[in-house]
Formats: sequence, structure tokens, C-alpha cells
Amino acid sequence: MNVLLAVLWKDLLSEWRSRDRAVAMLLFSLLVVVIFHFSLPPASPDEARTLAPGLLWVATVFAALLGLGRAFALELENDALSGLALAPADRGWIFLGKALANAVLIFAVQLVTAAALGLAFDVPLAEHAGRLAALLALGALGLAGAGTLFGAVAVRTRFRELVLPLLLLPLLVPVVVAGVRATATLLETGALAVEPLRLLLVTDAVFWIGSYVLFEFVLDE
Amino acid sequence: MSEAMDETPLDLAAERWRRPLGLALAVAAAAWGVLVATAPIDTMQGEIQKILYLHVPAAFASYAAFLTTAVAGAMYLWRERDEWDRLALCAAEVGVVFCTLVLVTGPIWAKGTWGRWWSWDPRLTVTLLLWFIYLAYILLRSFTEGSERTARFAAVYGIVGLLAVPLNYLAIDLFGGRAVHPENLGRGSLGEGMRAPFWTGVGTALLAFSFLTLLRFRLETERIRSARAAGAGMGA
Repeated sequence: MNVLLAVLWKDLLSEWRSRDRAVAMLLFSLLVVVIFHFSLPPASPDEARTLAPGLLWVATVFAALLGLGRAFALELENDALSGLALAPADRGWIFLGKALANAVLIFAVQLVTAAALGLAFDVPLAEHAGRLAALLALGALGLAGAGTLFGAVAVRTRFRELVLPLLLLPLLVPVVVAGVRATATLLETGALAVEPLRLLLVTDAVFWIGSYVLFEFVLDE
Repeated sequence: MSEAMDETPLDLAAERWRRPLGLALAVAAAAWGVLVATAPIDTMQGEIQKILYLHVPAAFASYAAFLTTAVAGAMYLWRERDEWDRLALCAAEVGVVFCTLVLVTGPIWAKGTWGRWWSWDPRLTVTLLLWFIYLAYILLRSFTEGSERTARFAAVYGIVGLLAVPLNYLAIDLFGGRAVHPENLGRGSLGEGMRAPFWTGVGTALLAFSFLTLLRFRLETERIRSARAAGAGMGA
């Protein structure tokens, strides 16, 4: 437990001190929204609203991929990753600390992107702020769960920036589908639909338990 | 270590089963060919329906392959013995071949009966994602340096990749792709006289998967052995 808190605190503190990763992820996420705006046919405000959930999730998943790749690249400097692997601690707890720190970062990017989307596409997100935040948090957990495990894998490969999306995107389909569906229903009815929420919870559980167990095999000394 | 390499139980089993499996495959494939040729023509779809006897068995074989990859990967992580990693790699490669066969025959059939090459049908989409996952598996191996590290990383991805399959299926179901595949075989969507060629096809595909994986496994063993011999020669 102490290991978890120590790793979580270390990651969040170093992120807070530099803020470069969060800023880069956020800018990237907003850029994806802008690019998508130009790549889709001109839409009426009503149509634009139906596109907003998909845009929100695609932009933040892409930004998460970018940030997850960096999470372990930073540790490579000064061989900190080897130090982490050699630490006399259960690697499952190291995973939980790292993954929680990643989830916090992704969640923050999601919140700001959602706010920007709400303004840009005139979507009344503020009315559902609490529920939307809960939904995004579940999505961030899913992205960080699988993303932290394979971030640690990708960082030890050639072309790591290329490897991570190839590994992760086919696994993240449930998170994207459930997230988009639940967000769309939330905007339409103001309620959280049960089915996508259940899928999101199950996916989170599978990714976190699987990664907790398997993380010890992906850290190299 | 290198001398003892081909004496692992898996290698011995591969040697022992090579001929019987090859023979069984030849017999099954011949029977399958005859049965498919003489199978009744579907009254609605015509001749093109016979692609079923290749399409669905290939899907069975690819699922068996990816299951093998995940199980062999787990065995590798547990036992840390190279031969399990070799098996995982070979099954994945053969699995990609069968999965490609599914994804090629599917659209041909679809164009003939549904009128379009591709539909985002749940089962089709899951197979497509599966194909992406196992191509990523093979790419991950070629992008990782060090055989021990490659084996570990690949095993982890193979296991998570298999866990993702039911989740992906649920997701695509939720997304609401129009299901155009028949619900399942248990409800008897196969007509009179179609069962024999179908199940013979499934058997043939599973035999073909086993046999090809076995041949590939022996090849991989040879490859590593000659690489080690070359390495030892350089050292001396």
C-alpha cells in the first residue's frame, strides 16, 4: 500500500512540477477536436451535438495514448525504470500507483476537453456535470489500466510510439464504445444507461486485475 | 543447453505426431473435398453458399490458434521454458493465416448474398479486431529485442488479447451492428445434408491448424538451433 502511494505521489508530483505531459496531452486532445471539426461535413447545431460524444472519446483516447507512452519514457532517463523494477516491493503495487497516476492525468485531460467541446458545440454538458465526470473517470480507469501495462511494454521496444497504439487500440474498443454510448444517452435523457456502464465496469475490472497480475512480467531490471 | 534443446517434451511430441497428423489431415481433407462437392446446393443462395464449408471451419481454426497462443504464453510465464514461447509464436502465425482466410472468404460470400462486401456485423467485426490484435502480437515480437524479453512481452499481450475478445464482442453488440450472421449452429440453421461437410470441414481445419503449427514449430526449433550453432562457432 505504501508502495502504491509512494509511486502515485512521485508521479503526480513530478507531473505537477513540470506539467509538460499534461499540457501536451491537452493540446493534442483539443487539436484532434479541431481537426475532426474540419474533416466532418458542416453540421447543424443539432447534428453537431450528436457528434460530440464520439469526438470527446476519440480525442481523449488519442491523447491518452500519447501520454501513456511518455509515462515510462520519463522513467528511462537516469535508468529510473530499472530502479523501480529493482525496488524491494511487490510489482503489483507499483502498477497500481503508476496506473492511478495515469488515470488522474487522463481524467484531467478528459474534463477540460469535455468543457471545451461543450462550449464549441453548444452541448449542455454542465447540466450533467456530475454524471459525466463519473463516466469519464470510469473511462480513464479503463484506458490507464491497459495503457500502463502496455506502456511499460512499448517503452522497451523499438518504435515505441508506434507500438503502443497498435497494441492498445484493438483492446480499447469496449471502453470507446461504452463511453460513447453512455455519453450520448446521458446527453439525450440525462440518465446513465445501465448496459454501457456495466460494460465499462467489467472492462475496467478485467484490465486492472489482468494488469495487476501480469505487470511483474513486463518490468525489466 | 543447446544440445538438449530438441529433447523437450513438446519437441518429442511434435516429432511423434508429425506423420499421424499429416496422414489424418490428408484423409480428412479428401473426405471434406468429396463431401463439399456432393453437398446439396442451397435453394436460396445457390453455389456460393458452399463457401460456408471453408469460411466457418477457418474461423474455428483461428480461434483455436489464438487460444493456443494465450495458453502457451501463460505456460511460458509459469514455467519459463522456451518451447512454450515457440509454440505461442507458431500458433499465432498460423492463426493469422486462418483469420485472413476468414476475412477474405467472408466478404466474397457477403457480396454474393447480402449484396455488399462488408457489413459491420458483430461477429465479422470481432474477427477483424482479433486479426488486428494478433498482427500486433507478431509486430510486437519483431520490435522487441532479446529473446527472453520478447517471450515475456508477447505472452502478456497474448493473454490480454484473448481476454479482450469477449469484451470486444459485448462492445460491438452494444454498438448495435446489424447482426447478419445466423444466430448459432445449435438451432439448426444448416439444412439437410449440410452437416456432414460442415463438421468434416471443422475437423479438417483443426487438423490443418495442428499440423501447420507442428511443422512451423519444428522449423522454429531448427532455426534457433542453427542460430545457436552459428553463435557457438563464432565464439570458438
